[in-house]
Amino acid sequence: MKSPKKILESVMNQKRILLSEYESKQFLSAYQIPVTREFLANTESELIHATNEIGYPLVLKGSAGDLIHKTEQNLVRVDIRNDDEARIAFKDIMAVLNGTGAAVLVQELVKGQRELVIGMTRDRQFGASVMFGLGGIFTEILEDVTFRLAPLDKRDALDMMEEIRGRRILENIRGMEAADLNQLGEILIQVGQIGIEHKIIKEIDINPVIISEGKGIAADALIVLEPALVKK
Amino acid sequence: MKQFFYPSSIAVFGVADSPGNLAKNIVSNCREMEFKGEIFPVGRSRGSVNGQKIITETDALPAGIELAVILVPAAYVADTLDICGLKGISHAIISTAGFREYSGKENRFEKDVLAVVKHHGIRLIGPNCIGVICTNSGLCTPFNRLRPKRFKKGRISLITQSGGLTVQAAHLYSEEHVGFSKVISIGNKLDLNEIDYLEFLMDDQDTEQIHLHLESIENGRRLIDLARKTGKPIIFFKSNVSVTSAEIAKSHTAALVNDDRIVTGAFRQAGIVRVRSIHEMTVCAKALQLPPLSGDRLAVISLSGGFSVILGDACEEYGFKCPSLPRELLDKIESFRRGGVIRMANPMDFGDVHSIEGLAFAVEHCLKLDHIDGMVLALFYDPEIAKLLGQGNDNTQQMLDFLDVTMNAYNKPIALSFLSERRYIEEYKKNTPFPVFNDPVESVQGLRKNRNYWKRR
Repeated sequence: MKSPKKILESVMNQKRILLSEYESKQFLSAYQIPVTREFLANTESELIHATNEIGYPLVLKGSAGDLIHKTEQNLVRVDIRNDDEARIAFKDIMAVLNGTGAAVLVQELVKGQRELVIGMTRDRQFGASVMFGLGGIFTEILEDVTFRLAPLDKRDALDMMEEIRGRRILENIRGMEAADLNQLGEILIQVGQIGIEHKIIKEIDINPVIISEGKGIAADALIVLEPALVKK
Repeated sequence: MKQFFYPSSIAVFGVADSPGNLAKNIVSNCREMEFKGEIFPVGRSRGSVNGQKIITETDALPAGIELAVILVPAAYVADTLDICGLKGISHAIISTAGFREYSGKENRFEKDVLAVVKHHGIRLIGPNCIGVICTNSGLCTPFNRLRPKRFKKGRISLITQSGGLTVQAAHLYSEEHVGFSKVISIGNKLDLNEIDYLEFLMDDQDTEQIHLHLESIENGRRLIDLARKTGKPIIFFKSNVSVTSAEIAKSHTAALVNDDRIVTGAFRQAGIVRVRSIHEMTVCAKALQLPPLSGDRLAVISLSGGFSVILGDACEEYGFKCPSLPRELLDKIESFRRGGVIRMANPMDFGDVHSIEGLAFAVEHCLKLDHIDGMVLALFYDPEIAKLLGQGNDNTQQMLDFLDVTMNAYNKPIALSFLSERRYIEEYKKNTPFPVFNDPVESVQGLRKNRNYWKRR
């Protein structure tokens, strides 16, 4: 696996400011942030290799240099259950992408009904700030998020989870087990740490973080670099 | 920095013996507030103010003046500062407006001012401000005519970006009897900014609580670091949080908006207590004069069933719990009842207890409980009730003294309010150092501020 520094260098060498989902997650997992198991597939044989490695059900997502808003561009296929479905989805996505550097990200389908968002942004006055809140479509609709300045200590992280209006989502509710606050807190602390260590990173968006069997896991992620620092 | 607040002498520039002149009000405000140092009014035309001759030749200014207050047109500020520099005055308050708040950052007068102060090494408050009100020294530099005798001395100091708020806060601190040490109107922050003032107040012996009102935060990180460091509570009224006020702020004090959510998070992290109005600053001022609330469990006593219910709601709304009290304690408290018609619970309805002893007993024994962190008391009181209790007017004072001693003995706060005519409540506030909230719900709100502050310590 590439080191975080190597990942950033290769993106900068290509004068890109966005890390792909795959690169973003590689980066995050270097900071012990749990991410979905996934492989990039450029060809059908790589696709089948990946599906064998991970096992069904799967998610297939388009992956290319500066690609965001994958869902809106019809580049996501969820709940793929066998090789035939996987091949069809692969072809569809490659046709939409239709470009060089295009690939398909083959990803485990994480089961969990609760989605959170964890992010980092660099405020002009306060510097690296970590965000926590309700994820998925609720991030935009409810804006139930809270911030703390990096670096975070454990109490900051726990306070954040206590602070959102929808905090009960983390409790043992409707038969779902309570979220592991210490594990989620560790992700928040690590995201803050990334903000402190890498000035070139302007924003991080991990959305959704899915709660699966009580643990948070990054199901999608985006890292944005500071354009002014990339262009040098 | 101390010279800005405790100068041995000041020169006021821009004074004229004419009805519309504003700078002469600076002289009279200082006089009325019994500023002990010498005041030298300086102007272009002969005349006198406050029975003192206006100095028209700068040669006539003595050496050793510690502070200049400047209210001359923007175009003449740099020249005036040059005179100050030549006279060895190293501290100046520039009240004059017409700098970046008026014409954007590329302001010629501003450049001139900066060049002169750099040359002479002068430190500045302002421009576009009303300077300092200091109850300890009697310095009172606002250029509108005030009644500084009404200002109450206390141990709160406020840093504010608004001149209007400077005066209004001084009034409110005084009327609410929390008092203040210094109010600093910082204007455009051309030289000194909130960080400099904050650092000064953190070390200032006359300041116990630091209040801030800002429309923009320019060095957020530093502010947060200082807030974490200081042992003094910081109460922050951050305005300019909406799109509408951002527009006004641009023309007002050249402010820019911070993402309010980040501000909120950063403040919580640093234990800065955030308020949304000047009145709330006074609520906080009172609440933080009480001992620390170390948990969320309250015992509540009200002299009215209706207010007991209201207080129960308020406790829940502000995140408090009113745990059950031991049965044997409630039995003892019930023995003080007159008609024996009200069952005691928490909140306690004292409508049937017409006895100061009963109240004292309940307060002491509730505060003693390990599972009670603080108390809320909403007492009926007016002179007629005092007579009914048969001990004349004095027993209120005795009661307050008792509350004070008991509260401090257990180091648990008592949030006190009175259900009475406003004029009687005013009397209490005036005559007792014990913090009196204006309303029972406000007292609960105050405890929440206290708790939030101490939670981070």
